[in-house]
Amino acid sequence: MKETKLGEFEEVILLLVGILKEKAYAFRITEEFKTQTGRGSSIGSVHSTLERLIEKGFLTSEMGKPSAERGGRRKRIYFLTADGQKALQVSKEFRISLWNQLPEFSVNQLSFG
Amino acid sequence: MDRKNHTPPKLAEKLLRQFLKPDFLEDVLGDLEENFYFVLRNRSSSVAWFTYWYQTFNYLRPFALKKSKSKTINQFTMLRHHVKVSWRTLLRQKVFSSIEIGGFAVGIAACILIALYIGHQVNYDRHYEHKDQIFRVVNQWSERGEVGYWSNVHGPLKEVLEDNIPEMEQVARIVLWSWGDAGENHLRKIESKYNRYEEGFFYADPELLNILEIPMVYGMQEHALSDPNSMVISRRKADQYFPNENPVGRRIVLNDNPETIYTIGGVMENFPATSHLQGDFILTLYGRKDGPGTSGWCCTNYNMYVKLVAQANRIAVEQKTVELRNSFVIERLREDGQSGLDDIQKYQSYYLQPVENIHLNPEEVGDDLSHGSVDLVWIFGFIAVIILLLACINFVNLATSKSLKRAKEVGLRKVVGSSQTSLIYQYLSESCVYSLLAILLGVFLAWSALPFFNQLAGASLSIPWLSVWFIPLLLISALLIGVLSGIYPAFYLSRFRPIEALKGQADGGARNSLLRSGMVVFQFTATVILIIGALVTHQQFQFLMNKSLGYEKDQVINILGINTMEGSMREALKEELLKLSMVESASLSDYLPVEGSFVQNRSFWIADRRQLDNGFEAARWAVDEDYITTMKMKISQGRNFISGSADDSSIIINESMVRELGLEEPVGTRIVDMFDLEYHIVGVVKDFYFESLYQNVRPLAMVLGKGRTTLSVKINSPDIQATMASIGEVWEKFNTHQAIRYSFMDQRFEKMYEGLQQAKTIFLLFAMLSILVACLGLFALSIYMVEQRGKEISVRKVLGASMGRIFKLLTFDFVKLVLIAIVLAVPVAWYFMDYFLSDMVNRIELSWQVFAFGGVVAIVIAVGTISFESIKAAIINPAKKLRSE
Repeated sequence: MKETKLGEFEEVILLLVGILKEKAYAFRITEEFKTQTGRGSSIGSVHSTLERLIEKGFLTSEMGKPSAERGGRRKRIYFLTADGQKALQVSKEFRISLWNQLPEFSVNQLSFG
Repeated sequence: MDRKNHTPPKLAEKLLRQFLKPDFLEDVLGDLEENFYFVLRNRSSSVAWFTYWYQTFNYLRPFALKKSKSKTINQFTMLRHHVKVSWRTLLRQKVFSSIEIGGFAVGIAACILIALYIGHQVNYDRHYEHKDQIFRVVNQWSERGEVGYWSNVHGPLKEVLEDNIPEMEQVARIVLWSWGDAGENHLRKIESKYNRYEEGFFYADPELLNILEIPMVYGMQEHALSDPNSMVISRRKADQYFPNENPVGRRIVLNDNPETIYTIGGVMENFPATSHLQGDFILTLYGRKDGPGTSGWCCTNYNMYVKLVAQANRIAVEQKTVELRNSFVIERLREDGQSGLDDIQKYQSYYLQPVENIHLNPEEVGDDLSHGSVDLVWIFGFIAVIILLLACINFVNLATSKSLKRAKEVGLRKVVGSSQTSLIYQYLSESCVYSLLAILLGVFLAWSALPFFNQLAGASLSIPWLSVWFIPLLLISALLIGVLSGIYPAFYLSRFRPIEALKGQADGGARNSLLRSGMVVFQFTATVILIIGALVTHQQFQFLMNKSLGYEKDQVINILGINTMEGSMREALKEELLKLSMVESASLSDYLPVEGSFVQNRSFWIADRRQLDNGFEAARWAVDEDYITTMKMKISQGRNFISGSADDSSIIINESMVRELGLEEPVGTRIVDMFDLEYHIVGVVKDFYFESLYQNVRPLAMVLGKGRTTLSVKINSPDIQATMASIGEVWEKFNTHQAIRYSFMDQRFEKMYEGLQQAKTIFLLFAMLSILVACLGLFALSIYMVEQRGKEISVRKVLGASMGRIFKLLTFDFVKLVLIAIVLAVPVAWYFMDYFLSDMVNRIELSWQVFAFGGVVAIVIAVGTISFESIKAAIINPAKKLRSE
């Protein structure tokens, strides 16, 4: 069976793909990752994660439209699959349940928007 | 890089096309290009260019690479196969292989050690943040195209420079020679009674800490030396004298003298090993009343450091110093009544020596520091390359000589379809496996030889295991050396034609044996040169040690550090020691004819000619009336000083000074020095070597005076231990709170020639290494030769050849090569050794015996190496060899 756990980096990338919607292609995701987390990463490593997420069944990809600033080349756009959304949901609930078990920070005192 | 075009690098794109999965090619190229223009908008084109490359390399990931076709798998399998075959060959011929690898390893170990040494030498004074702004101000004398430098400058120059040259941010003087309390002292904390001996004192202006960016543990760079009588001590001395406390404000007494009490103003970090300046105690020059720091335009007693402002142009600043010299310095010197000013105006100027140059000193500035030697760095580097080359040659030699054995293997491989290229790959990977093993062994050898090497080179090196570059560098050099040394055998072996090879007709051919002979000749040429080098340096060293010096250095003990006693007590100590039966005579004088003792120079003239002549510089020693007898110097005219007589203005000069003064009848002549003191000559002492034997004896003048720090004792007993015990007993009576400290004058003399001794050991060591490597090669070659000619030898024996004939037959070929090597080596060695000795005044003449001896040694070693196998071949029962036919 295929590994379907989410690593921290994978989870962030998955979320970014969801956020960026139809603008989710490797270069944009890398830039967004940089602005959101303040950490740098190469396009290559983001791309390799995206491909891994496809293998796990959380993403699909499709070729988009060409544009001039990329020398007339098309983009590869990534979309969340249902499995991907479920994986994110599971991961979020798992965290919240962990937070709830931490006495000083139970969810009643903290609000997670 | 194309900065104008502002397009992504073509080469990187090409690379991506090469290795990227075709599926990804379009979107990845698009992404990277978009990124490129994105970076270009915000940053420079070179950053964008660099980023593109960076991103390209980051695509070297398994997911993005083209699916490997069967070809790559095959290549990997082949590589594994090559390594396996190499390993089997290695095991099959153990002697051969261990000689190949061992020889390599020795060469590599030598290279590693030498690279460490050179790396250390050229890394001096690179640690300053503003190293481009730090200079030493030295004098420059350029006359008729010849330029000389020396470091001593006038004290008041500091203020002149500070006031007139705005580019000089800070100026600091230091005093390194034994003036005042610089050098060595006995010190104690003010609350303690017991004196401890310490070295490494020097004076400096407060600015020095700032200029040389000396980090402080306690106190501030700005204030640590800015009070009168303040001092800065190093961290190790602070830990020793004031463990676990901040010693700032504590007071220290030097030499029991109530006048020299210093207050600690700060603690500095120890000087790093790669600093040209070393020492543990810095005394301030600020606010002194007399001695260091107060001398005027009379004398040049200081070294001077400056820090220029950022971006200042050195040449422009030097130009300004020349203007200052014309307008200011010359005037001051004239007021001081100095002569020779026209020459100074014409030839002398100031030079700013970059701080990084001070250690290796390519300008050869005369100063009191100990320097690394550029020559030694070159010689070391040269020898390292030679030894590595010898080892590589061994490899090539052995590999080609093995070729016959492997001809069948090559033939078979070709028959089953191997191409020449893949055979070349095979032999190259084989040589890489060998060189990798050799490097591992070499690193191990270097590591185990390091302590010995450190002692030899007087350094404290360590192998930088943890450096980022160390392991990669080794791997890269393993590959490089492997490929370089394997390339000839690889091409040679892979060229065999299969049918001939399988029939056993493949033949080394004349060309190949010529090459092999050439390599043996080269190896032995290098070896003979090194043997001769070792012999000549050894002879030169012995010559210097046995040279008659004009005084006797043996059985003289210098008792040191008596400056903590009262003058009258020093006299009493001398009298008391003279009562001992084994003490022949004793003398109080700080001036000794060995290195590390006091130096003082003054200019002299014949009285009444001061205004007329230029004068000359002579060493001026203050000695007592027993000095000349204690040192067994010879008076050639006139008399020695007489005790108790009115010899205050008497002077004894050496013969060299007589010549300099141009006197026929020196005794009775009156002379004056630069301070207008007048003396009359009472005696002439025969020239003796009081400085280095590498130079001629300089003029020297002795006046009557008492030493303050040193008492020299001539003993006449061979039992040194008993003598020292009795001297120690006498010392105890006088000085209870200070341990006796002494040196033997002959040992101090030998220490002056440590450099030569080092050179001798280095030559010897490397001569031995190269003999070892060359012998290993020759030995393996002789094994091979005997194997090849086994049948021939057996047939000869059957036909009645004697053992002697066969031995001669087998060795003669090699001896011929060694003879050629000797003929080549002798002129080269002669040239180099003559150059090496050329700047020494007292040198041996190169004799033919040395060269003959070197040659004989080479032949004996070569014959010895070969005879092992030759004799074995000559005594073997011929039936054994011929039977298997």
